[in-house]
Amino acid sequence: MVFIDRIQTFFGIAGGMLTDPVSIAVLFGSVLLGILFGAMPGLTSTLGVALLTALTYSMDTPMAMICLLSIYVGGTYGGSYASILINIPGTAAAAATAMDGYPLAVKGEGGRAIGLTTTASAIGTIVSMLFVVSISPLISNFALEFTSFEFFLLAFFGILISGTLTAPDLVIKGWIAGFLGLFLACIGRDQLQFYPRFTFGISELESGIEVVPVLIGAFGIPQIIDVLRSRTTMPKAKKLQRIIPEIGTVLRNIPAIIRSALIGVGIGAVPGIGEDIAGWVSYGTAKNTSKHPETFGTGELKGVIASETANNACVGGAMIPLLNLGIPGSPPAAMLLGALMLHGVTPGPMMSFEHPTFILEVAAILLLASMAMWITGMILAKQVVKVLNIPTPLFMPIIGVLCIIGSYSLGLNIFNLYLMLPVGIICYFLTNMGYPIAPLVIGVILGPMADENLRRALMVSQGSFTPVFTRPVSLILFIIIVLTILSQFGWYKRMVEKVKTKIFNNPTVR
Amino acid sequence: MPISNGYMPGLIFYSNQIVMIEIEKLRKADIFSGTAILCLGSYSIYEAFQMPMKDSYAGVQNVWYVSPALFPLLIGSILAFLGILLIRTAIKEVGMAGLKSVLNYLSSPDFADFLKQPVTIRFYGIVLNLFVFVFILIPHIDFFLAAIIFLLVFFFMFYCGSDEGIVGLIYQIIIGGVILSVFTASGLAEKIDTFAFFSADILVIFFTVWLIFHYYIVAKNGALIPKFKLSLLIGFIAPFTIGIIFKYFLLVPMPHEGLVVSLLDAIWYAEIWS
Repeated sequence: MVFIDRIQTFFGIAGGMLTDPVSIAVLFGSVLLGILFGAMPGLTSTLGVALLTALTYSMDTPMAMICLLSIYVGGTYGGSYASILINIPGTAAAAATAMDGYPLAVKGEGGRAIGLTTTASAIGTIVSMLFVVSISPLISNFALEFTSFEFFLLAFFGILISGTLTAPDLVIKGWIAGFLGLFLACIGRDQLQFYPRFTFGISELESGIEVVPVLIGAFGIPQIIDVLRSRTTMPKAKKLQRIIPEIGTVLRNIPAIIRSALIGVGIGAVPGIGEDIAGWVSYGTAKNTSKHPETFGTGELKGVIASETANNACVGGAMIPLLNLGIPGSPPAAMLLGALMLHGVTPGPMMSFEHPTFILEVAAILLLASMAMWITGMILAKQVVKVLNIPTPLFMPIIGVLCIIGSYSLGLNIFNLYLMLPVGIICYFLTNMGYPIAPLVIGVILGPMADENLRRALMVSQGSFTPVFTRPVSLILFIIIVLTILSQFGWYKRMVEKVKTKIFNNPTVR
Repeated sequence: MPISNGYMPGLIFYSNQIVMIEIEKLRKADIFSGTAILCLGSYSIYEAFQMPMKDSYAGVQNVWYVSPALFPLLIGSILAFLGILLIRTAIKEVGMAGLKSVLNYLSSPDFADFLKQPVTIRFYGIVLNLFVFVFILIPHIDFFLAAIIFLLVFFFMFYCGSDEGIVGLIYQIIIGGVILSVFTASGLAEKIDTFAFFSADILVIFFTVWLIFHYYIVAKNGALIPKFKLSLLIGFIAPFTIGIIFKYFLLVPMPHEGLVVSLLDAIWYAEIWS
């Protein structure tokens, strides 16, 4: 009965949105804006969500969510345009798409590739939406059993795993980035005793650092500096022919689409891991399981489908930990968390009590956004491609103005700008030195949760850490954290290798 | 303990040799960034020890596990440890010779050359324009005027200008920024505003007109007039589009409302519309 009720509510919400002309206009407008953002190299869906957060400040929460989720879905898909047509990924998420997308465009099949990626992306998003609806109640119920120790360990795990998987260079740098984020989160009066920490006597810092301006600075400013500094000129985009895909090709690739969607959802659900990794993992899996792996890199449709399905499926996957645990699954989801907090919605296990239909609303928006993305992609692809001809030195400074006025408008505080710019420049240097930004952002967001829950847990246990080992979930999280750390050490890897050899080569064991 | 996940998106398509060179450079930089992280961690620990640990704060007797120092102490210790680990890893890979070569490089003419390279000068130009916009223009000048000059400077630097022109623009921004700072910080702007309106805005308008005129001549000589015209068009349209959306549709007051906002207010709220 509960299941049928949920389905009814879901379709009720979706129907309500479909019959509201304003919602439909915002949905299509945001998806189109997202596609344009994703298509322009240098602009990302994260930046799109960040900038739109400021614009949605005065909207009601459901409308703001339509706007932000649609730009997220559109932005993740839009990256494929530049990958396929000019061999420069519009977003990091579409980097794997360029491997086979551009060779297809060179062969004169750019339109076909875009048609298929549009369909695959839409299916990926819908599959991920199904997971949001079906898995969320389970996780939410499970998370209700969590106490402060579990939340502290979960935040810690989120930062560590995000640092481990997103570090482009040494894993240790990913961890450092995460802990830098936690350090930034310490700034301001602490939440239990209101003692000022690292405020340097600056009154604006007393309430802590504003998350959204920091996120805008961390994602926007390095991008602006990097694009303008490199003075890259874009190659001419390849021409598009027929875009609507052949149904036969889509049906033949359904198993690959489903597999890639599952990979995307799985990776998206891991805290702090973005669409780019989902795209690469899915591409790698498609290549490894193919009967003709040698065709990958030469214009293989399966390669394009794999990466594009997975990166869009990641959107729904990232919503699962965000909505149920309050832990963002990807950098754009971190921005969404900031936006939700601005609207007075605190994601987490209590969400199903405080906002009973919110998760279903998100799922309905994902479904409608994927449909809007497919329609927009099919109708406007030839027009969207024209944005690839806009010179980057013309639009990047405008993004700069948007970053600045957006950061200011959240709180109407010029101090936000004084914070945003230095954070952005520091993040630029960190990026150049091989530090990932996602863990830093996750650290800033999860810092207050980790701090508060650690002290609250110790208060309950009178300063004892024993509950970590007596509570099953705590213990599991603790073991995972320890193993994540140990797995990066050479001596541990050698030890595991030795143990494995002993077990499998020992005749007595066999 | 080299802990690398081998995932290098930016370098994945390059040849092995380039990756090795990049990695060597990164390791050398890691020594410095690791030191900075170590210092930050140590500072966090030092500050944490200044916070109430077991003594009373605001009438509340503390215990260590409720202390506001607990989390900064934990984070500071982990950062310091990771900083040491990073330095150790880097030194293990490039050796003390690597560190020495970096120190030698910093005092060599090669480093001075690097600071004068076009790519570095572009970086100065971008950061300077951002800093002047955020710290000097936005707090004192009408947002629309500030945004126009910010955009025009970027367009003249990167769209219809050359690398050689950036140096000239950098000097112009510095001089303009210093004049405006002195003008506003000395209280001169306020004094003039008692008998004339928006003096700082008018000063910036003069600077903008001069900049446009100067770059018109540069563009004319370099046959860049179409690019110059487009820069000018977007440089004016974009701030008005963005500003009007925020100010009149989202009802966000501008950071500083001066000459242009007053004019727009007069038009927007004019009685003829009602």
